[in-house]
Amino acid sequence: MKQQAFETTSITQGIVAFAQFARSHGLNIGLTETQEALLAADTGLLTERKQYKNALKTIWCKSPGERRLFEKIFLLYWDTNPIDLPSQKNKTTVQGTVEKKTNASLVMLGMGAAGETETDSPQVSGANENERLKKTDLSRIGGTDAEKLEELSKKLFREMAMRMRRRMMDSKQSDRINLRRTIRKSISCGGEPIELFRRSQKPKKQRLIVLLDVSGSMDKYSHFLLRFICALRQHFRQLEAFTFSTRLLRVTKALQLNRLDSVLATISEQADNWSGGTRIGECLENFREKYGKQLLNGSPTLIVLSDGLDTGDPEHLAKTLRTIQMRTKRIIWLNPLKGMKGYEPTARGMKAALPSIDTFRPAHNLESLLELENILQHA
Amino acid sequence: MNQFNNQEEIITALDRMQYVLDEEFATSIFLMLKLRKPLLLEGPPGVGKTEVALALSHLLDTKLIRLQCYEGLDINSAVYEWNYQKQLLGIKLQEESGLSVEQKEKHIFGSEYLLRRPLLESITQELGSPVLLIDELDRSDEEFEAFLLELLSAFQISIPEIGTIKAKHKPFVILTSNRTRELSDALKRRCLYHWIDYPDLEKEMQIVRKRLPGIENKLLEQVVRTVHQFRFRKLAKTPGVSETIDWAESLMALGYREINQAALEKTLGSILKTNEDITLIRAEGPDAFLA
Repeated sequence: MKQQAFETTSITQGIVAFAQFARSHGLNIGLTETQEALLAADTGLLTERKQYKNALKTIWCKSPGERRLFEKIFLLYWDTNPIDLPSQKNKTTVQGTVEKKTNASLVMLGMGAAGETETDSPQVSGANENERLKKTDLSRIGGTDAEKLEELSKKLFREMAMRMRRRMMDSKQSDRINLRRTIRKSISCGGEPIELFRRSQKPKKQRLIVLLDVSGSMDKYSHFLLRFICALRQHFRQLEAFTFSTRLLRVTKALQLNRLDSVLATISEQADNWSGGTRIGECLENFREKYGKQLLNGSPTLIVLSDGLDTGDPEHLAKTLRTIQMRTKRIIWLNPLKGMKGYEPTARGMKAALPSIDTFRPAHNLESLLELENILQHA
Repeated sequence: MNQFNNQEEIITALDRMQYVLDEEFATSIFLMLKLRKPLLLEGPPGVGKTEVALALSHLLDTKLIRLQCYEGLDINSAVYEWNYQKQLLGIKLQEESGLSVEQKEKHIFGSEYLLRRPLLESITQELGSPVLLIDELDRSDEEFEAFLLELLSAFQISIPEIGTIKAKHKPFVILTSNRTRELSDALKRRCLYHWIDYPDLEKEMQIVRKRLPGIENKLLEQVVRTVHQFRFRKLAKTPGVSETIDWAESLMALGYREINQAALEKTLGSILKTNEDITLIRAEGPDAFLA
């Protein structure tokens, strides 16, 4: 592959090589795009550098991010000396950083990778065992139990996602009459609409935004909660996920890969804040400012998974959450601490948040997480 | 329809249509006309995404067909639907005619019983290519987006009772999105793409002057400068270019020749659309912006 403009011998070759170059730098360019680039050159846009650059930009780039990337690549390809070119980064960087993770995420990864040896026995352990595990507080689980719980949660979360889909499909009776079909079928009876066909109800699609607290106090829970979010994603295709502690981080894209271990690795790589302190108010405000206009449309449901132990200003948290609540269908706050006996939401942050929360639930064991299914269903 | 040889001609021509655009955008439009590919426009609300389709249809002297997307938009309201009531009447009228069932069926599924919705309309134009505007596509469901894929690549629509209708004149398609959700890669790949951002000071003044030729220089500069200041603030709803024009227009209508305390108080509602924003700006006072 030709890497630089000066290595090519004709304009056509140069453009084709540029397409390859851009592709190798992450732009999504297929044969059609290359062909169109040549067509554009043919329309007379080639006469001026800036014109042709604009033309390529409009053909090749499909988002603001790609447009910025394109500017760099364009300069890199047509202008730079090959000597200045830094060695290309390859995709192993994600794995490379696995070594320098913090302790907390190492624990996480260990849990994620486990379970290989035990896979044949989850049924053997019996119903009682499963019931017990379902009720066990996630923070009090160690060793072999963790592996079993891992298996169990995988299974149950999968079933939950399946159930939710199925229930959507069942509830489609008695909607509007499907005139089109009724008339079509009535022709065989001479035009009398004897049999009425009904239009099936479209499954209601809730948009879901999940904010997961990954601060130190949530450390023991966040791994399972992340798995839980993955399961929710199976059902809600339009799910947006964020993690927060001192900073907000969007993990939607990473979750789409559906490989939890690599998601954890990526998060811990990007987030220097994994298992640090929490500044819920600031993160929420950050969320509202940066993504609010984009995501808080058409009243989505917002789920916050956090213990509410906040080191920031509670007043700030209360105010921000209130403004967010106005733009959502409802806010569900899942708090692992609520599962403890005698828990009162007395933590400053939690207390401040309570007035704006529509549903306040525990999230300390599998059972409580699975209950969310019902809450979401009766929306 | 290839009367344009380069993007400068498009800039001048659209300028006459009171639409100001930069060279980059003009290149996108030029390519859309040349390559006959749909053009996907993204950007914040109120920067003229919809407006350009209007200007373009004037420019090409063709019809503008508009499809406003919303959640739950389905094929029946976007492509076609049978006129059921008319069909029922048709069946009743034919009862005594002695036609066979096949003939009857053929009759009531004829084109006079077909209600054309925007998408079908756009590919059945007899006289030249129309401009098809699919507005706020991000609001529609994914199913609809998938359906669009077929239309945008083949420009044909299949109706089971009639057959496949192929476009005589391929429409010029402009899609707009406010990015409330990411559109699918498959759709994006079939489109050219352009991101329209808020214009810079000079360009925005140019735009406002185009729309309001009677505006005085001082007021124009003050208005545009203030709006640019607003955009830096953390507002719930950032004002777009259309709001700038509205604001300038209301100031002119009230006879103000410059922005002062009273003018700001009275007309803030035409530029800021939420109570919090208005309170915020009011608290800062006019001096913060006019300095």
